[in-house]
Amino acid sequence: MSLTPADRTTTTGRGPGAALRGSGGGHQGPGDLTLTSIVLFTLGAYGVAAGAATGQEAVVAVGVFAFTLFVVGIVWPIASLARLGVSAIAPTDATVGDSIELRITITGRASRVDVRALDPPATWRSCAAPTDGRLPHSAARRGVFRSVRIQLRTSAPLGVFVRTRTVRVALPAPILVAPRPNVARAILQPIPDERVSSASPLLVRGGGDTVRAVRPYAPGDAARLVHWPTSARRGEIVVREHEPPPALGIALVVDLRGPTPEAAASLAMGIGTATLAAGGVVWCGTFEVDQPVGEMVSDARALGRRLARASSGPPPEPPADWPAEVVHA
Amino acid sequence: MSSSESPGRARKVAPVFRIVAIPAAVALGSVGGIAAEHGGLPWITGAVAGAVAAVLGVLALPSIPTRRATVVLLGLGGLAALRHSSFAGADRSWLLLLWAAATMLTLVFVDRADAETVPALADGVPIARRWPELARVGGVIALVVVVVAVAFVPTVTARLGRHVWPGALPSGGDIDGAPSSLRTSSQLSLTSRPRLSGAVVFTVDASHPDFWRGETFDEYHGSNWSNSRPGRVDDSLAHDDGNRVNVAPALYDVGAQSGAEFRQTFHVETGYTEVVFAAPSPRVVETDRVLNRRSDGTVQVAGSSGFGKGAVYTVISRSLPVTEAKLRAADASAIPEPVLQQYVQSANSKATTARVAALARSITAGATNTFDKVRAIETWMGENLQYSLNAPLSPPGDVVADFLFHTRVGWCEQIASSLVVLARSIGIPARLATGFAPGARDSLTGRFVVRERDAHAWAEIYFAGIGWQGFDPTAAVPLAGDAKAGGSWLADARHNAIPLTIAVVLLGLAVFAAPQLVAASRRRRARKASWSAGALHRLERAGRKAGRARAPSETPHEYARALADRLGDDRLDAVGATLDAALYSAHGASEADRADADAVLTSIRP
Repeated sequence: MSLTPADRTTTTGRGPGAALRGSGGGHQGPGDLTLTSIVLFTLGAYGVAAGAATGQEAVVAVGVFAFTLFVVGIVWPIASLARLGVSAIAPTDATVGDSIELRITITGRASRVDVRALDPPATWRSCAAPTDGRLPHSAARRGVFRSVRIQLRTSAPLGVFVRTRTVRVALPAPILVAPRPNVARAILQPIPDERVSSASPLLVRGGGDTVRAVRPYAPGDAARLVHWPTSARRGEIVVREHEPPPALGIALVVDLRGPTPEAAASLAMGIGTATLAAGGVVWCGTFEVDQPVGEMVSDARALGRRLARASSGPPPEPPADWPAEVVHA
Repeated sequence: MSSSESPGRARKVAPVFRIVAIPAAVALGSVGGIAAEHGGLPWITGAVAGAVAAVLGVLALPSIPTRRATVVLLGLGGLAALRHSSFAGADRSWLLLLWAAATMLTLVFVDRADAETVPALADGVPIARRWPELARVGGVIALVVVVVAVAFVPTVTARLGRHVWPGALPSGGDIDGAPSSLRTSSQLSLTSRPRLSGAVVFTVDASHPDFWRGETFDEYHGSNWSNSRPGRVDDSLAHDDGNRVNVAPALYDVGAQSGAEFRQTFHVETGYTEVVFAAPSPRVVETDRVLNRRSDGTVQVAGSSGFGKGAVYTVISRSLPVTEAKLRAADASAIPEPVLQQYVQSANSKATTARVAALARSITAGATNTFDKVRAIETWMGENLQYSLNAPLSPPGDVVADFLFHTRVGWCEQIASSLVVLARSIGIPARLATGFAPGARDSLTGRFVVRERDAHAWAEIYFAGIGWQGFDPTAAVPLAGDAKAGGSWLADARHNAIPLTIAVVLLGLAVFAAPQLVAASRRRRARKASWSAGALHRLERAGRKAGRARAPSETPHEYARALADRLGDDRLDAVGATLDAALYSAHGASEADRADADAVLTSIRP
């Protein structure tokens, strides 16, 4: 399987947040003026101008009233959101496309505020601050994410101006989003490496075809293992003792240097998952942060974490004599 | 924010939006009331129409987002408020205030209703309850609006307001339809009933009320008055500086020559007037019209180019602020002979009958000075005569005599004429003045609203060394020296701006700080009551300073360990263990451990 270079996706990222709690830093987003603001501004400007020109205090008063609502309606939401802080807690593992739940805490005071997670934008949820709560979020991209973007908005109390503020919540421990596995066949090929046999608990011993020796029958031995010719010759029941079967599995070399790294990662995840499910062993070679990494993976979650961390770069060579499956982006 | 309503087959306004209809109805009803009155209809008609329109607009247009419909309605209400707020009708400023309050409430309600359509955060604190939020927001915004209005409205209008404006060109209908009180005339009939409708004639920006004098009459002819020196139309006054016209004071009118200045700006609301109304006595008129002056010190528009609707002119008058004591002392000076000749012994005036003179002498028998004599006559008139607009018209002849001795019921012209004739019969210089009473002050704008029915006649008595002083036997008007300056709410508030600002700040602090102070006080008390709560608070505070807040799921010991790693201070581990023991163990933490923990918490520097 040929893969081409992939972007490095082990990043800071825009996406699902990880466990632990971070204080909200983040940048201020813009706001939107509403129809109400246009109406109030128009009334205010016209009232003050016309009233001032004619000296009619009542008209000026109406204009000043409208202007005051306009200004208060802008300043209030800005001041409200500026005082809010956000922190979040999230699960540590996810798969692309999964819906996860962020546990967020909003500090500060606000009578009405809407909140949602970004990347991708989720549905707004309303609350009052300070508060804790659960915020749904979907894991959209593979990678390692050390922060999550939370968006707050409010137009309270007058609906003149919708102030929106985006906060990047730093996460001390990353969340690892594994690729969603493609449907693939398991690849089970004999692996010569003895250390693999001892490392893999999934290998079935005593199930090979080659008979190594015979031994006297012991209670519990299967009847199908009785070697009748020898039993007849010796006059006692003996059973066959087989050579252990060879370890089966694959060295999965994932090279994400190409235009379709996500497709390659998904394919690798599919092959690895199927192989592991079939009882095979998987050695996974990827490029992480600044070096190639090649290790055995014990289960699908470990494989997902490896592939979550995988980025564009030269993968390591597979172990000698191992059957290798190279997945290119 | 979000869409207003969720789409549905029923096409009904979402229930959370229905409450918006209430303040919206009040807002549009209020401004509808003002508009209706402006249009000559009962205010309640407009109020009901506005309220119904608002309710229908909010509730009966499900195809339009309620927020949008409401804002459009409020915009229309605002335009109506701008259009009609300056209407000088009855003092409906309370309706304008009601409109303002209801508009603000509507905005809060509709925005809140919009927020209620957003799904709530799971396990989160729901948005604040409607009424506490409304009270808090409403209070703050009202305070801000009041402060801003007090600070800016008088300033803006004083600096930028029109003091001279040509107004509309009067049409033939306007001129023909103008009542006699708005036309100049050399004669005033006492045998015709005046037209006294509720139509607004003009409004006046002035610091205090006064008679808005138009003309004076010095010759009494029994059934009418005339002016012996009406002036010539071509005797026009020159504009000195732009729109400024200087008016020479009348001869011997000391107050008009050296009195205190009194500035008034007249906003003409009627279709036509050719009289330049002003508080006695006008010295400067700012206008674009050509004026001419009469010998009595009054001013009129030259020719037929009177003021039309919307015209604005400003007058600076001069008069001496007098008191009763000053008026009583005025007899010490001699009255100029020309004044006596014109206003007491005029050969053209109808001779005072002996019966009238005898009545005047009997009324003033106990009075020793001019002022007390005039007061005595006023008192007698108050006790013996009745005011009624439905009084029978006097027959041709001596109207005053008929009024004093026969009917004893009349209106201002007959009452004031009687005072003048009675005063003249005992040698007091007097003349009849016509114009308008001060009118009702609009409590919001501070302007005096003058209507046709405020047309008035009063007497002016000459005091040596002071000049002409008005006396109104029909209505009580304070003497100029005793008059109190007044103003609108805005002007009054601005006058007390500093204490008002301090009060607003204190109130704001009380509103906002009180809950936080109470909460902080409770926390302090809790910390004092519990060593573990206090120590945990200190630990968390140190952690926050170090950029590591405590997660809800972390025990104090776990948190302390994390902080120990972050700060490189292993002693925090022991602090956490002590805290856990204090909080969760049956025996608590020992005194020694607590002391050690306190020492560590005191010494750490994040």
